[in-house]
Amino acid sequence: MYVYDAPYNKMRSAEVMDCHVLVIGSGGAGVRAAIEASGYGKTILLSKTLAGKGGCTPMAEGGYNAVLREQDSCEIHYGDTMKGGSYLNDPELVRILVAEAPERMEDLLRWGAVFDVTDCCEVAQRPFGGQSFPRTCYAGDRTGHEMMVTLIERLASTDVKVISEVTVLDLVVESGRVVGALGLDGKGNIVAVRADATVLATGGGTQIYDISTNSSSGTGDGFAIGYRAGAELIDMEMVQFHPTGAVYPYDARGRLITEAVRGEGGVLKNALGERFMEKYDPVKKELSTRDVVSRAIATEILEGRGTAHGGVYLDVTHLPRQQIEERLPVMLEQFLKFGVDIREEPMEVAPTAHHIMGGLRISPHGETTLPGLYACGEVTGGVHGANRLGGNALADTQVFGKRAGESAGRAPRRDVRIGEKAIEAQEERLSLFLGGEVPPSTVVRSLRTAMWEGAGIFRTARDLEKTLGVIAHLSSLPLLARTRENLGECCTVQNMLLTATLVVRGALLRKESRGAHTRRDVVQAWDAQTSPYGHTYQSLTRSGIETVVRE
Amino acid sequence: MMKVHARVFRFDPEEDEKPHYQNYVVEVNEGARVLHVLQAIHDEIDPTLAFRYCCGAGQCGSCAVRINGEPGLACMEEARDGMTVEPLDLPIKKDLVVDLQPFLATLPRICPRGEPEVPDREKVELLKPLRSCIECVCCVSVCPAMDVASFDGPTAMRQELRLALDPRDKGGDRVREAVSHGLFTCTSCQACWKVCPKDIEIPGKAIEKLRALANREGLTLPRHQEVARLVRETGRSIVRTGPTFLEDAPEVIEPDGPVKATVGFFVGCMYNGRLPQTARDAMEVLKRNGIRVIIPREQVCCGSPLIRTGQVDFLDTLKKRNIDAFVFRKIDTVLTMCAGCGSTLKNDYRTPFRVMDINEVLTKFGIEPPARLPVKATYHDPCHLLRGQGIRDQPRELITQVVELVEMPSICCGSGGGVRSGMPEVAAALAENRRKEIEKTGAEIVVSSCPFCEFHISEHTDRPVRNVTSILLEGYREKDRKKAKGTVSS
Ligand SMILES: Cc1cc2nc3c(=O)[nH]c(=O)nc-3n(C[C@H](O)[C@H](O)[C@H](O)COP(=O)(O)OP(=O)(O)OC[C@H]3O[C@@H](n4cnc5c(N)ncnc54)[C@H](O)[C@@H]3O)c2cc1C
Ligand code: SF4
Ligand code: SF4
Ligand code: FES
Repeated sequence: MYVYDAPYNKMRSAEVMDCHVLVIGSGGAGVRAAIEASGYGKTILLSKTLAGKGGCTPMAEGGYNAVLREQDSCEIHYGDTMKGGSYLNDPELVRILVAEAPERMEDLLRWGAVFDVTDCCEVAQRPFGGQSFPRTCYAGDRTGHEMMVTLIERLASTDVKVISEVTVLDLVVESGRVVGALGLDGKGNIVAVRADATVLATGGGTQIYDISTNSSSGTGDGFAIGYRAGAELIDMEMVQFHPTGAVYPYDARGRLITEAVRGEGGVLKNALGERFMEKYDPVKKELSTRDVVSRAIATEILEGRGTAHGGVYLDVTHLPRQQIEERLPVMLEQFLKFGVDIREEPMEVAPTAHHIMGGLRISPHGETTLPGLYACGEVTGGVHGANRLGGNALADTQVFGKRAGESAGRAPRRDVRIGEKAIEAQEERLSLFLGGEVPPSTVVRSLRTAMWEGAGIFRTARDLEKTLGVIAHLSSLPLLARTRENLGECCTVQNMLLTATLVVRGALLRKESRGAHTRRDVVQAWDAQTSPYGHTYQSLTRSGIETVVRE
Repeated sequence: MMKVHARVFRFDPEEDEKPHYQNYVVEVNEGARVLHVLQAIHDEIDPTLAFRYCCGAGQCGSCAVRINGEPGLACMEEARDGMTVEPLDLPIKKDLVVDLQPFLATLPRICPRGEPEVPDREKVELLKPLRSCIECVCCVSVCPAMDVASFDGPTAMRQELRLALDPRDKGGDRVREAVSHGLFTCTSCQACWKVCPKDIEIPGKAIEKLRALANREGLTLPRHQEVARLVRETGRSIVRTGPTFLEDAPEVIEPDGPVKATVGFFVGCMYNGRLPQTARDAMEVLKRNGIRVIIPREQVCCGSPLIRTGQVDFLDTLKKRNIDAFVFRKIDTVLTMCAGCGSTLKNDYRTPFRVMDINEVLTKFGIEPPARLPVKATYHDPCHLLRGQGIRDQPRELITQVVELVEMPSICCGSGGGVRSGMPEVAAALAENRRKEIEKTGAEIVVSSCPFCEFHISEHTDRPVRNVTSILLEGYREKDRKKAKGTVSS
């Protein structure tokens, strides 16, 4: 391991770790990629958290979408996904997603996953928003956790070297090609890994918002790391606000109330007791797509029909107790801890920032626009378009995790080294923090409020410009690390600021309302299917919005 | 907003010679969790405080700490003013961060057969509760057996059972593996279950199940087989060495004064055969306090020694005989004084009558105050009373009426789960830990409320070990003596 020992300045570059494939991130996508890559050569997996415990995968509750029944078909799953994504999705990526989700599900079953089953020994499925067929496979309401433990067990049987609690800071680019990455261990020492191919699987970043479902690692590191290295990102303005986040206790606000609650029959009511979804989507009601339900709830609250805690009611008290206990055990347990028995009283919910649909542009093989760099999972863009369907993200991690891992594995061996300059530059960046002034937590707090207010569910150019100004100001502040152990926090905050910038710039680029992105200041004469626009794109060298020529 | 004072454990093994505690005061919102207090400390006062967390929603198992001594998830446990936050009892990396990796690396992992088959519904229902473990390691940090024996611990056993039940695993004989990794060293103390944030009932739903599978493979320990044979042949789990309680006891014991309640007495093998005098003491105390006691002779062993050791085929017969004995006499409340029997009747039986421990009965109906004895005592919480039946305060309420009580930590004495008979050296090592704690208190006597604990502890300490009711009786006798001498005015 390369350890940069600042005070003595000893360069021990011979100790750079070396591998064929480097995977960054231990969520569903990263671990799946590492399992696949390990078949091709020495693989190292770096994770900011304890492997398997970090990221959003273990938190995913509701399920995994896969076509398993004869009455269903990939064509229908494709149609649902495109429609749910307001046709901004990359059709080829969606075709792959729906075609391979069942195979990847089989992998999980092969490796020991315990999904709920029907009496006929088939994997059970339940309805989720935006589906024409109930195709969400589940393990109670701890589906992601079930997947994660299965994957971690499988990973243990490979010879992937797993290094936990190392925060990746940046990719190393030599002559336009990614040749590895630099990270920080818990003590604040630099760790360097050289690789023939690098897979970025750092997950999402809605921690940039005041109210968020994401785990603490959802700080958008991968978007920022990829962007700084020169990769192109698309559709970063597409941030999904999940309709149902907890509003109490305040310090745990945003915590997800899974869509499975509505899938099982939960109904939404405003403070007047009206089942308001009948107004916004009379057909699908509570099971409309997330963008629609979120806007409906936000509107009810804005118009004064919210509860005292600033939410609306989500009620399952009419369901049999046994159904709640068996299908929603985690929800039941969490609410009981917070003093609410959901079998007896309704939950209070409000929208919460949940998922970033945008991200690194990838090919069907998981290649980014930057040679040597692959990506999979939530850090990528294109699969979910302008709005992700519940249950499609877990499938995405497996389908594209495998593909990225395989492509990275097949990458040719290369004889390049990590230059000392890259490490020196990184060390210089870090040393600035040691002499900084502003605690990272102060910056984060301001950023989150600014993003929630200026780049949330409803947006206008004016608010977005203002938010961009706030972010620019915050980015100019000299962040302070009290000790080397606090260096990682400063880097993370810089990643959050950059991710927020990309989201806001994307939102300004897209002068239309589409999917999760609602521009209140734009009047448009088209709907999603006839929109003249394609992806927004941003990289170090270019940015803009694609236009679509329609016959 | 509310103000929270917190006392937090600080230790950097690379810098500090020894750990210290630091006091902080922070403002957090109503309903804040322990995690939010730690975050506030980190953000506003001291960024060097190290703690681990990730999901913030009880789903990843990164954040376990001890809160006022009890392991729990920082992100789920409500913050309380004046709380102490410490790391789990595991090797410390820094402050509240412990090294989980070495432990997690030892968990057995599946060796998949490679077929994408789905276990049937029945299997899935068995597997699901075992799968909800988030590997937070709270259970490992409290398991007494792991401290003294070569035992992989509660969550490893949970995983062994999952592998043993899963048709997709081809990793060999998982039951044999579990046995060699310490399956029989578990004392059924239930400490693991009580701290598990996912409420996984490891002793009952994993360890006893594995022991039952081990039984089918003929791996039950010889001493346990011996006990099972005894129960089958004599209805009792211990050999008769002298007159038993039931042989001498009347069918009904009428109380001295007016009848406050009528109960049926379930004696249990130990009080019946080994410690009949203690049971007689208890009868005196009940008699004096208005409790009418009916004692059915035909009652037998409750089956606990069989359940804990996985020998369950004879169980239904025992259950039926016991239930019938009390139902026949139309008894609606059954009294137990053995913590093990009480826990078994309450948790492993489905009874048409209510089961109450003697401490519950005496505190519920109230007792005549005894005289105070000039003795300093400490109380040993029997696992099957404290955790098995949730009875903590009642025995203390009784004890403090007669002697001075000095508390000690509630740890297992080592006698349960068949460990005393099957793994005597493990039981002795646990008792040794118990002895040390007893010594620290400076108490002259040890009081408890379970025959197994009383018997086992008395072999490992030089202090007398007394049952709660026996010291109450002594208090009454002292009172009577004083009264006779005319020193007490009524
Ligand atoms: C509460 C919640 C519930 C959800 N429920 C569902 C659902 O039911 N169905 C569904 O389909 N989707 C669901 N989603 C979405 C889905 O869980 C995620 O999109 C998906 O799990 C992302 O997987 P991933 O592997 O890309 O990233 P993650 O699982 O987020 O993993 C990211 C990994 O990268 C690591 N990392 C991050 N930054 C760095 C760095 N700088 N250096 C090193 N490592 C780093 C992290 O430690 C982590 O291990 C849910 C999301 C949330 C938050
Ligand atoms: S019951 Fe007690 S001894 Fe047995 S595994 Fe649990 S904590 Fe350990
Ligand atoms: S069994 Fe419970 S306490 Fe033990 S590691 Fe699993 S979740 Fe934690
Ligand atoms: S932070 Fe994940 S369980 Fe507490």
